[in-house]
Amino acid sequence: MLTELETSLLGIMMIIIMLGMGASLTFKDFAIALRRPHGIAVGMICQYGLMPLTAFLLSIAFGLAPAYAIGLILMGCMPGGTTSNIFVYFSKGRLSLSILMTVCSTLMAIVMVPVTLGLYGRGIEGDWAIPVSEVVKLLFVLLVPTLIGIAIRKWNANVGAVIELFGSILGVVVIVFLLASWIPRNWELLTTTAGSIFFVSIALGLIGFLLGYGLSRSLRLNPVRSRTVSMETGIQNGPLAILIVAMVLTGDQQAHVLLIPILYSIFIVLSSTAITFWYRAMTTAEELARDQAKIGAIGGQ
Amino acid sequence: MTASPPGPETRPWLVQYGEHIPETVPAPAHASVPGAMADAAARFADRKAFTTVMPNGMYGTLTYAQIDRMSDAFAVYLREVIGLDAGDRVALQMPNCLAYPVTMLGTLKAGCVVVNTNPLYTADEMEHQFTDSGARAVVLVDLFTDKMEKILSRTPVEHVILARVPEFFPPLVKQITWAVMKWWNRVIPAHGLNVTPLPEALAKGLASPAFPKSGPVPYYANTTHDDLALLQYTGGTTGVAKGAMLTHGNLLWNLAQIRGMTGSHIEEGREVVLTALPLYHIFAFSVNLLTMFLAGAQNILVPSPRPVQRVQRAMENYPITWLTGVNTLYNALLNEEWFIAFPPKHIKAAAGGGAAMHHAVVEAWEKMVGAPLVEGYGLTEASPMVCFQPLHGERRTGTIGIPAPHTEIRLLDDDGNPAEYGKPGELCIRGPQVMQGYWQRPDETAKTVVDGWLHTGDVAVMDPDGTFRIVDRKKDMILVSGFNVYPNEIEDCLARHPKVMEAAVIGVPDDKSGEQVQAYVVKREDDLTVEQLVAHCKAHLTGYKQPKVIRFRDELPKTAVGKILRRELRNEVIGGGA
Repeated sequence: MLTELETSLLGIMMIIIMLGMGASLTFKDFAIALRRPHGIAVGMICQYGLMPLTAFLLSIAFGLAPAYAIGLILMGCMPGGTTSNIFVYFSKGRLSLSILMTVCSTLMAIVMVPVTLGLYGRGIEGDWAIPVSEVVKLLFVLLVPTLIGIAIRKWNANVGAVIELFGSILGVVVIVFLLASWIPRNWELLTTTAGSIFFVSIALGLIGFLLGYGLSRSLRLNPVRSRTVSMETGIQNGPLAILIVAMVLTGDQQAHVLLIPILYSIFIVLSSTAITFWYRAMTTAEELARDQAKIGAIGGQ
Repeated sequence: MTASPPGPETRPWLVQYGEHIPETVPAPAHASVPGAMADAAARFADRKAFTTVMPNGMYGTLTYAQIDRMSDAFAVYLREVIGLDAGDRVALQMPNCLAYPVTMLGTLKAGCVVVNTNPLYTADEMEHQFTDSGARAVVLVDLFTDKMEKILSRTPVEHVILARVPEFFPPLVKQITWAVMKWWNRVIPAHGLNVTPLPEALAKGLASPAFPKSGPVPYYANTTHDDLALLQYTGGTTGVAKGAMLTHGNLLWNLAQIRGMTGSHIEEGREVVLTALPLYHIFAFSVNLLTMFLAGAQNILVPSPRPVQRVQRAMENYPITWLTGVNTLYNALLNEEWFIAFPPKHIKAAAGGGAAMHHAVVEAWEKMVGAPLVEGYGLTEASPMVCFQPLHGERRTGTIGIPAPHTEIRLLDDDGNPAEYGKPGELCIRGPQVMQGYWQRPDETAKTVVDGWLHTGDVAVMDPDGTFRIVDRKKDMILVSGFNVYPNEIEDCLARHPKVMEAAVIGVPDDKSGEQVQAYVVKREDDLTVEQLVAHCKAHLTGYKQPKVIRFRDELPKTAVGKILRRELRNEVIGGGA
């Protein structure tokens, strides 16, 4: 479990991360994006339709104990992670779509997380249940810095962009910090954890990548946008799930429920890195093919 | 015998001047460009003069007083620290950024000559321009030190001053912006050049005992209208680039002429100008930078407007009242989602030039923005402005408008005689804005400026009311079975098709007809077919004008300002088709 200091620190950092995420765009950007909501809509279906369902089905398929099942379902119900923007950038995806999807899913979280969590977590009661009303309060608190961030970007682009940068760096720092302090203290727990727990923690992200891409392509998004949606879908806001568990559960319950969000956060960094290289190579190949076609068109008199 | 109808010499356009354009403008009050700019800087001291806006909205701003003081420091650096003399050439090679106005004004204040240099030049082109102009110092943006390194030893350049795109931004913002360019985008190469960073040059200038305690630097006190201010290279796309010699008088007169044509829409100290075109090009140099500086405007500099999405934050975050552009820029903006959703609200006027504006673009722009988009005509050799559509009265799209005050025009036929009334002829102009000649090229000068008349190489006709229309470049004219085909007309026709984004038309040698009309089209809608375009052309063009070949392209070759390069396209087509 997390110490009180760690929890408070995580809370403060999360506020800054949300501030930075909000500062990555303006209200006008939303208005513009909503004029052609196709990409966003597909993204939100992936985010709040496919991911929670995937987590739920995985928990059933592997017959996870309630503590782990609720951790996985919570993870599936989270909005997009802010680090996805960095991965999308490096994979030559559509950064603007990525930012928009992250912010959109975060703003919608206040409604969609309670709904999905309530729906898929219904069967889990008693000690392991996550009180949805507490989650709503927490999300509401985090909505404030997000909105302030958006307003700052409009008010002064220099301040906004600097906050955005620090926010995204902090997003990485938080994960590293959590892992560095949590893994050594829980080494024993990790060595005794069942393989299926590791498996579902890794699979959630990978299945997210796959479904995000598949649905986007079948809904006729172009390959680059589809890969962007894919990354957004697979990469969930891990630190937010950890913060929620740390805030609403205590003691033994907290320690068990926390396991999957933490494992997910570790492995998603690794699998996202691999996917980034792959997607980047695909985009590069497509660009090359396009250039070749151009040269062919000129040469083929 | 009937009297021949009036030609250009009777100046029928004066009627159109109306109450808004003066028939004559007073001679420039200042003896030099830096004199006029220092005067403006004193009047508008605390106002923002230049703001560079990065694609993500990060920005840096300098006020008129800061520009004045920094350029003083740069002038002292050039003259006292590195020992340049009056009349020495200083090349400026950078995209739009705050370092440009500082070093440009500093160079002129030092009594030196500015050599504007396109930062996208290849190493060979740089070598040619620095050698030809005899530049002793270069202010270079750090993006292109690798090219400089290759050629420095083969040029007369003795000093390299290095500027950054985020130069003069707030410290943290500057470091972040630069670090992102260096480590993330990896666009700043390592180099082994011996350079002086611009801030260091300014600090040395300020620290020099010669830096005046009060008042201006002394180097331009005796500069007159006849002194050289600018070597503006031109013709790089058609052959070896030549330096047009523009004096302080040429520039100041042209500024007065531009102000005469547009003054009704410029309020001193109140305008905000979007400068997406590069300042090293004469259009933005004279219109955006000089004219608007003298009017106390705030200039919003966009380092690179391509892709055009990079202009978004500049347009959103500042109440733009004026902008300049070329057809391709306006066209690109009109196709941007963010622009369509929130068209700018404060625009008073937009100016187009560089290449013919298309009807469809002008109409769409004026409908969306609600302010006139007026087309002008100019060329490097004329500082540049020659003609401009009046901002008042009936809009005449498809024309270049009417000549500016103090501009004389002749249309000459192939034999050098005044063209018959209503017939096309080569546009020749005379006026205070016409250059002194090409730098160290008396032969080229003699061919271009004859008895004070600048031969433009453009074919034009005059309407009865004194409005001029450019028919085409003399060189681009296509000869199909003895008929003249002007590519502009065909391109304009293609661009009117709603599914066409833009088009370029060229002539390609043909065994039967001598030359064959070929069209290269960028689609706006994916489902556009060649058959649709053929039908469209059949409906609007006579047989010999219809393109015999229509091909689709993802993009068309363009110059730095976005003019479509027909010549390059033609070379590609002829070269690649063998």
